Amino acid sequence: MSIDMSQFYQVFFEEAGENLAAMESLLLELDVEAPDLETLNAIFRAAHSIKGGAGTFGFSDMAEVTHVLETLLDRLRKQELAPTVEMVDAFLQAGDVLKSQLQAHQEGEEYEDSRVTEVCRHLERLARADNAEGDVPASSAGETQPAGTVEAESSVTHWRLAFEPAGIGQGTPDERRALFEALGELGRIQDIGTGETERCLWQLTSTAGRGAIEEILAFVCEPGQVEIDTIETLEAPAETEAETETAYGFFTDAPGLQGDAAFGEAASAPAPDQDELGYGFFEGAPGTEYGAEERTGASDSTPDQTQAFGFQAEILESDGYGFFRDAPGTEAAIDQEHSGYGLFGGSPGMDRVAAVAHQERLDDERGYGIFNSAPGSPESRLDDDASAPISTAASPAKSAMERESRAGNAPKRPATADSSIRVSVEKVDQLINLVGELVITHAMLADSAAGLDPVVHERIMAGLSNLERNSRDLQEAVMSIRMMPISFVFNRFPRVVRDTAASLGKRVTLKLIGEDTELDKGLIERLADPLNHLVRNSIDHGIERPEARLAAGKPETGEIVLRASHRGGSVVVEVSDDGAGLNREKLLAKAAKQGIPMPDNPSDKDVWQLIFHAGFSTAERVTDISGRGVGMDVVRRNIEDMNGRVEVDSTAGRGTHITIRLPLTLAILDGLSVRMGEEMFILPLTVIQESIQPRAEQFKTIVGKGRVVQINDEYLPLVSLHDVFSSGRPEPNLLDGILVIVETNEGRAAVLVDELVAQHQVVIKSLETNYRKVEGVSGATIMGDGRVALILDVDALVRLSRRAGG
Amino acid sequence: MNDERREGSAVATDSAREYLTFTLGEEEYGIDILKVQEIRGYDAVTKIANSPDFIKGVINMRGIIVPIIDMRLKFHLGQVEYNEFTVVIILNISGRIVGLVVDGVSDVIALRGDQIRPAPEFGSVLDTAYIDGLATLDERMIIMVDIEKLMTSQEMGLVDQTHLAVA
Repeated sequence: MSIDMSQFYQVFFEEAGENLAAMESLLLELDVEAPDLETLNAIFRAAHSIKGGAGTFGFSDMAEVTHVLETLLDRLRKQELAPTVEMVDAFLQAGDVLKSQLQAHQEGEEYEDSRVTEVCRHLERLARADNAEGDVPASSAGETQPAGTVEAESSVTHWRLAFEPAGIGQGTPDERRALFEALGELGRIQDIGTGETERCLWQLTSTAGRGAIEEILAFVCEPGQVEIDTIETLEAPAETEAETETAYGFFTDAPGLQGDAAFGEAASAPAPDQDELGYGFFEGAPGTEYGAEERTGASDSTPDQTQAFGFQAEILESDGYGFFRDAPGTEAAIDQEHSGYGLFGGSPGMDRVAAVAHQERLDDERGYGIFNSAPGSPESRLDDDASAPISTAASPAKSAMERESRAGNAPKRPATADSSIRVSVEKVDQLINLVGELVITHAMLADSAAGLDPVVHERIMAGLSNLERNSRDLQEAVMSIRMMPISFVFNRFPRVVRDTAASLGKRVTLKLIGEDTELDKGLIERLADPLNHLVRNSIDHGIERPEARLAAGKPETGEIVLRASHRGGSVVVEVSDDGAGLNREKLLAKAAKQGIPMPDNPSDKDVWQLIFHAGFSTAERVTDISGRGVGMDVVRRNIEDMNGRVEVDSTAGRGTHITIRLPLTLAILDGLSVRMGEEMFILPLTVIQESIQPRAEQFKTIVGKGRVVQINDEYLPLVSLHDVFSSGRPEPNLLDGILVIVETNEGRAAVLVDELVAQHQVVIKSLETNYRKVEGVSGATIMGDGRVALILDVDALVRLSRRAGG
Repeated sequence: MNDERREGSAVATDSAREYLTFTLGEEEYGIDILKVQEIRGYDAVTKIANSPDFIKGVINMRGIIVPIIDMRLKFHLGQVEYNEFTVVIILNISGRIVGLVVDGVSDVIALRGDQIRPAPEFGSVLDTAYIDGLATLDERMIIMVDIEKLMTSQEMGLVDQTHLAVA
């Protein structure tokens, strides 16, 4: 393999990350009581893809963990074991370990932690835990097998015991027989290697675990003196006894493999490989047996040992992933059973495409279907049973495979799904900037053409209106590149809720609504932390313990709802729980204690706002989840940084409802342009509530200075842009202006402007690129006439105005 | 373009460097030409609230928001009506783009290091920290300004740092 794999690392990281996330969400979906085979298969495939990638790229630590994971998963999906909550927990832990490993690799480090071995052991133990349901499982595997293949022996394990009789005090044949019989009580035992040699080789086919065998051995010797290996745990169930024996003999005779720890691995690794990505991708050796052996592990009926050893050696050498063994050969066709991988099989030009195809695969996980039409790979071969006419030589192999693929039931990835590409965010941003320029240029053109006579310049006008439509469409299309469904954030919450609730001893279900709602990728990333905080808060403070809930006449299990929706030009994300709600008295008492000034008769809204104060926590005790009082203020700041706002609504005993309102994107803003003197400003539409023509009696002053406006029984602070931006000109008559009522984080305020001009979609430009932050202004934009307009930040305006007034 | 210039200047370093000179009232100033991105006419600016008076505002230069500084006001040389000769020198100082309003651009000159003499100390009357030295060319005195130091200085408040307004 002379290709430098490191250039594909990033692809692997992304893929593995996605697979891990997929695996996690599937695990959480999994109903332990009634496991869905399809879900199990999907989990298995995700694990398997990770293993494949990890192996290929040489991240053996990840491959090891996934291998163990996969072993257990494989037994689950074959229904040899029934999933338990413990297993799901173990899987989730393994997923966490893998994530840490992945991250370590991404940073170019190795992940070292005792957790790794711990998790592996746990999984191994679970995988070995034999349940007595040996008879249940085979059905799904069995039915797809050709007649006469089998009596199902699902949960049996084939153990290979190797020892030197003299060494363990079993020198005489009689003694040996006694041990032989003792072991025979566990299952079927066969002597397969004892003869003239010094070494005894027994094969035990039993449902017993290693522990049981060791126990028996312990009567006669130190368990360490006997090498016990598992042989093809995974394959065993489906094979006929005879086949297994053949296989066994074949492997044990392999020079240099005896007692090799890698043996078990080598023998079992190929088996699960069949359903998924990558493994044995292009192999299809000239000799038909190659493929067959790899597929079926060791069950081939006509083992050509020389070849087989060659293969085996190769496997050991390359960690078991036979990626590039690309030779034109009929066996490759067998690959086709597996959801379209190995589409190249049987194609005459296979050697040539193989390398390309490999690239393709790395470039795009879903790109397998690309060469569908490659000569020599007829569509029909995609079918599960298509292998029948193809593989003539290795019928046992084929049948085993057929079973595999059916049992695995790998859903075909549709060939159309490969139409996605990975593009760096910078490129997309550059595109967005350019389109923004185009929109501005159009606005300028339209502006200068406005004076032309539409009759005389009809073609210019028509061209301009076309340009407008096209650039608007273009803008929308480009913006949509950055749009992602909010499920990218939401999907982590089932896990968060599960873990948090479990650690707090509460029962909580999570309901996700509107996961398809799309918003800007940049926002999605920045939304994750605040949401995480809110959800954990809800579980910790909101949802009561089961007893308390029952006592309050509520169902024992609390519910948290995460809902996303588009409302107007913004995205609304709501987090609501049916917990205890906020406690008004407690909040007020705490505020008094901390010296936070509160009005005499504060509205609920004012009180709820208290939770956003830094250092404010009503939790009686600090947990590792929340209660330190840092958090809500950070949540609010994060959301305000995104030009969004947070609202809290709560009813004691009924629950709390937190609403986050966000703009669709960070790059474009819906705004209202307002004029003050000769300057134009943009007010974000999200903050505007209404605008009114003021009457003289609405203006009042307080101690002659602070000015307020009376609007519907409410006195709002008056913010005059003239004052704040000290235009230097005398303030025009108040009554000539327009009051825009805006919502700030300190309540409503009235902004006095000269005129409302128009509503625009403006491209947000940072002032900080070449200048610095300006108070009261959140950014700038370029208007149709090419001039710069400042985008107002109403929260800061109110602060500025207060400072100017006070 | 820039590269060419830089190469040219590299050849010239041992002997001379090139400077762009501009006038502010009666005085003539020189700045390192490598910092100059372009020269353009004066456009209407958008004022920025609560900024020092020498910051005229910002303009849109092909989609980039550029702050504009009036050097006359900065150097306290009195206010002048802008006319058709008023030009804006667009500087690129380590990636930040700033425009300078000056009365007019006069010349590009090459000066050797030994042609630039240190400016005398004016004590507290005048801060000479940003003046590299004085050069004489055809009887004219040119004040060499370290424009990068000036533009990134705290008192300009162009860069986000604790902003100190100039008294």
